[in-house]
Amino acid sequence: MLSFLVWFPLGGVLLLGVWPKSMDPKYARSVALGVAIALLVWTIYLAFLFNPGQITMQFGEFVPWITAIGLNYHLALDGLSLPLLVLNSLLTLIAIWSTDPEIERPRFYYALMLLLNSSVAGAFLAQDILLFFLFYELEIIPLYFLIAIWGGARRGYAATKFLLYTAFSGIVLLASFLGIVWLSGASSFAYEPLRAIIVGAADTPSGLSLKLQLILMVGILIGFGIKIPFFPLHTWLPDAHVEASTPVSVLLAGVLLKLGTYGLLRYGVGLLPDAWVYLSPWLAVWAAISALYGTSCAILQQDMKKVVAYASIAHMAFILLAAAASTELSMIAAVCQMVSHGLISGLLFLLVGVVYKKTGSRDMFFLRGLLNPERGLPLIGSMMILGVMASAGIPGMVGFISEFLTFRGSFPIFPVQTLFCMLATGLTAVYFLLMINRVFFGRLPDELDHIPSVQWSDRLPAAVLVALIFLLGIQPSFIVRWSETQIAALIPYHPRPPQITSVYQPDQHLTRNSIDVLAQSISIRAAD
Amino acid sequence: MVSTPQLEPSQHKLADFIHRLEAGKALLQDSPLNVLEVVGILKSYGVVLDAYSNNLIYIANHQFLVFFPFFKYFNGEVNPGKLLKFLWHDRINYEYAEYCMKAMFWHGGGDLDTYLDSSEFLAAIEPVIQAKFKFNPLMLALHRAFPEFLPEQIRQLCYYSALGQFWRVMSDIFIDLSDRYDQGEIQSIPDVVEHILQGLVADANRPITYAVTLKRQVYDLLPPSANLTFLMDTAVPYVEAVFFRGTPFPGTISYNGQAYQIPMFQSDFAYGALYADPLPIGSAGIPPTLLMQDMRHYLPEYLLAVYRQGLRQEEDLKIQICQSFQKSMFCVTTAALQGLAPHPLTTNSIEEQKANRKYLEGWMNRFIPSRLLQVNR
Repeated sequence: MLSFLVWFPLGGVLLLGVWPKSMDPKYARSVALGVAIALLVWTIYLAFLFNPGQITMQFGEFVPWITAIGLNYHLALDGLSLPLLVLNSLLTLIAIWSTDPEIERPRFYYALMLLLNSSVAGAFLAQDILLFFLFYELEIIPLYFLIAIWGGARRGYAATKFLLYTAFSGIVLLASFLGIVWLSGASSFAYEPLRAIIVGAADTPSGLSLKLQLILMVGILIGFGIKIPFFPLHTWLPDAHVEASTPVSVLLAGVLLKLGTYGLLRYGVGLLPDAWVYLSPWLAVWAAISALYGTSCAILQQDMKKVVAYASIAHMAFILLAAAASTELSMIAAVCQMVSHGLISGLLFLLVGVVYKKTGSRDMFFLRGLLNPERGLPLIGSMMILGVMASAGIPGMVGFISEFLTFRGSFPIFPVQTLFCMLATGLTAVYFLLMINRVFFGRLPDELDHIPSVQWSDRLPAAVLVALIFLLGIQPSFIVRWSETQIAALIPYHPRPPQITSVYQPDQHLTRNSIDVLAQSISIRAAD
Repeated sequence: MVSTPQLEPSQHKLADFIHRLEAGKALLQDSPLNVLEVVGILKSYGVVLDAYSNNLIYIANHQFLVFFPFFKYFNGEVNPGKLLKFLWHDRINYEYAEYCMKAMFWHGGGDLDTYLDSSEFLAAIEPVIQAKFKFNPLMLALHRAFPEFLPEQIRQLCYYSALGQFWRVMSDIFIDLSDRYDQGEIQSIPDVVEHILQGLVADANRPITYAVTLKRQVYDLLPPSANLTFLMDTAVPYVEAVFFRGTPFPGTISYNGQAYQIPMFQSDFAYGALYADPLPIGSAGIPPTLLMQDMRHYLPEYLLAVYRQGLRQEEDLKIQICQSFQKSMFCVTTAALQGLAPHPLTTNSIEEQKANRKYLEGWMNRFIPSRLLQVNR
C-alpha cells in the first residue's frame, strides 16, 4: 500500500520521460495533475485505514534488498509520518496546479516535481536509516534542477548554494548514521531493531554511552539543522526561496524543510535519547536564538518572499523547542507545528507568488494599496491577511493551536527559552503587519493601476489552504489524534533518569501535573 | 501693413488649457473615444438624474416636515413588491441625490442661499409651520423653544426642490445630447460642450419656485417674486458645491482633521467631482460609488463594449465609469466657463481677451489640484 506513494509518482516520471516530444506539452501537466490527485486520494485513504491507537508501525512492507550491507526496502507508517505524508501529497498537488501552464520544458519540470514527491514520501516512510538517507539525498537532485532551471535571475548561485549546503548535510548525516549502526553493533540499518538495541528496555538508559551519543548527535544536529534550517546554518534558504519559482517555494517551505524536523525527531530523539535529553536545555536556547534571529531578519526585509522565508526560519525553531522539551504535549505540538507551518508558509508563498505574477514585484516599498477592491488584488490580500493572522497565532486558526501547544508544553521544562520564543512569535505580528500595511493598504499607485485580473485557478489553491487552516484551527484533533499515541513512544524517558537530568533539573512535580492536565484536555478534545 | 495686436501667451501653470479655451476648444481633449465615452456616460447620467429629480421633488412636496420619512424613496408607491426590492437593494441610490443636495445646502451661494436667510423667507414659512402643526402642541412648543430648527428643515426642503428642478433640466439636456449623437449630429467634444451650453442658456432664466399644499391651502416657499432663476441660483451654486468644493467624505479621501489637513475655509475646499480620485471609490456606501452603481444599469451598449475591452473587463466597471464621468464633468464645466465668461472666449477684441484671460486664469488656479491633467492623459 505504501509503495504506491513511492512508485506511482516514479511511474509518472517514467511516462513523462518516454513522452513523445511531438505531443502537446499541456498533456504533461494533465499527467502530473492526474498522478498528484491519485496520490492525494491514496494518502487520504491510508489515513482512514490508519489505526491511531496502535503504537507500532503500520502497513509495513519489507523486501530484502542489499542484505550484504544490511540495507532493506522497508516502508511503514506511524503517527509522525502520516501527517507529513498527507502534507506532501496535498502540497505537491497544489504546487503542480499553481505552475504556469505555459512553463518551458514542461515534461522535465513535471517529472522533477513527481520525483521530488516520490523521494520525500520515501524518506517519510523509510524504516531503514540507509534507505531514509538514499531518499533524503535523492530529493536534492530534483530540487536543485527546479531552482537552477526555472528559478529567478540568480538561480545558478542559489541552486549551487543549496546543493553545497545540503550535500554537506548529507555527508554529515551519513557519517552519523554509520556511526550509530557500527558503534551500537547492529547487524543492519533497520530502524526499529536499532532503536531497540540503543534504547533497550523502556525507561532505561540506552546502550550507547552518553559520550558516543553526544558525538553522533553533533552530526545529526548539523545535518538536519542545515535542512530545517536553524541559525547559523540557514543562509542557503532565503536565497533558495527568493530564486525559486512559487510552486517550488511552496514545496520547499511546506514539505522539504520538514524532512529536517522529521529526521531530528525520528533519529535524534528516537535513536540518541540520552544525548538529546542531555543537550536539550542548549537545544532550547538554540531554538530561541534561531527564532529571534529569523524574526529580526524578517523585520528588516524589503522583499516579501524574504520576509516569509525568514519567518519560516523563526517558526521552524519552535519545533526544536518543542522537541527539546520532549514532553507528551510538546511532542504533539512539534507535529502540529510541522503541519501548521507547512500549510501557513505554503499559503504565504503561494500568495506572494500571485502578487509577483500580477505586479512583477515583491518590493514592499514599491507595492501599495493592493487591497483596492476593483483594480487591486482584494481576495489575494484578504487571504494574505488571514495567513498572516494564522502565522501570528490568532485563535481559531491552526497556527494558534500549534504555537499554544508548543509554548504550553515547553514552558514547564524551559521557561526562559520558551519566553524568548514567545517573544519571537509576538514579533511575527510586527513584520507581517509591516508587510500587510505597506503592500495592501493605502492608495494603489498609478504604476499599479493596470494589474491583470486574478483567475479563480490562482485563488483556488490558496483558498483550500485557508479552509484547512481554519478547519484544523477549530478542530485540532484532526492532527492530534493521528499522532498522540505514537508520538508518546518517541519520548526519551518518563521520568528522566537521574544521571541525565542531574544536568538540568526542572520542577518535576509541577511539570508532570501540567502535562497531565494538558494531555488530558487534548485527549478529551481528540475523543470529541 | 498694420499688425493685429496679439495677447501674450499665458504663463500660467495650466496655460495650455487657457489657450485651448481661448481657441474655442474644451478642457477635455477632442477624440472619437472621448466623445463616445462622454456622450455614453451622460446618457446613463441623464436617466439617473431623471429618477433623482423626481424623487427630490417628491420628497419636497410630499414629505414636507415628515420627521421619520421611512418611505421617502418610494415616490408614493408603497407595496410589498417594491419594499422587497428596496430591501434587496434593487433600486436607485437616492442617497446620492441627497448627498449633492446637502453639499449645495452647506456651501450655499447664489440668491437662493441669500433668500433663505432673509426675513421675507422667515415670514413666509411661519404660516406653513403653524398650519402643519396646528394640532401638534408638542411641535409648536418645540418650535417656540428652538425657533431655528424648523426653518432650517424647510430651507433644506427648498434645496430638495431646487436641486430637483435643476436636475430636471440637466437630465433632458443629457438625453437630448445622446439622441443627437445617435443621429450623427454630435461629432466632437466642442459639439458636446456647445449642446450643453445651449441647453443651459435656453433655460437660464427659468424660474425656480417651490410651494407646498397643506389642507388645500398653497404656501409659496420660493415665490416667483424672489426672482430665483435656473442658471445663477441653482446651476452655478451646484457647480461650485458639487464639482469644485464637495465634502471630504470619509472613504473618498484620507485626512487628519486634527492636523489641519482640511482647509480652514469652505471656499478652499477641493473635494468635488473634478478632484475625486476614481481609485479609492469602490467601497460600498461612499456617495460617488452610489452614483456609479446607479449609472452602470443604464450604460449604452457601445460604452459597455469599450469598457469590456479593458484589462479587467467589467471587474473595475465602476472605476471606468467614474473616469468617463469625470471627463464628462469637465465638458459641463467648460460649458459653464464659456457661459459665465465676461465676453465670448473667441473674441477678437484685445480688451475683451484680456478680461477673459484674467477670468480664465482665476479659474485655472482652482484647477491646479484637479484631475484635469489625468483625464487628458
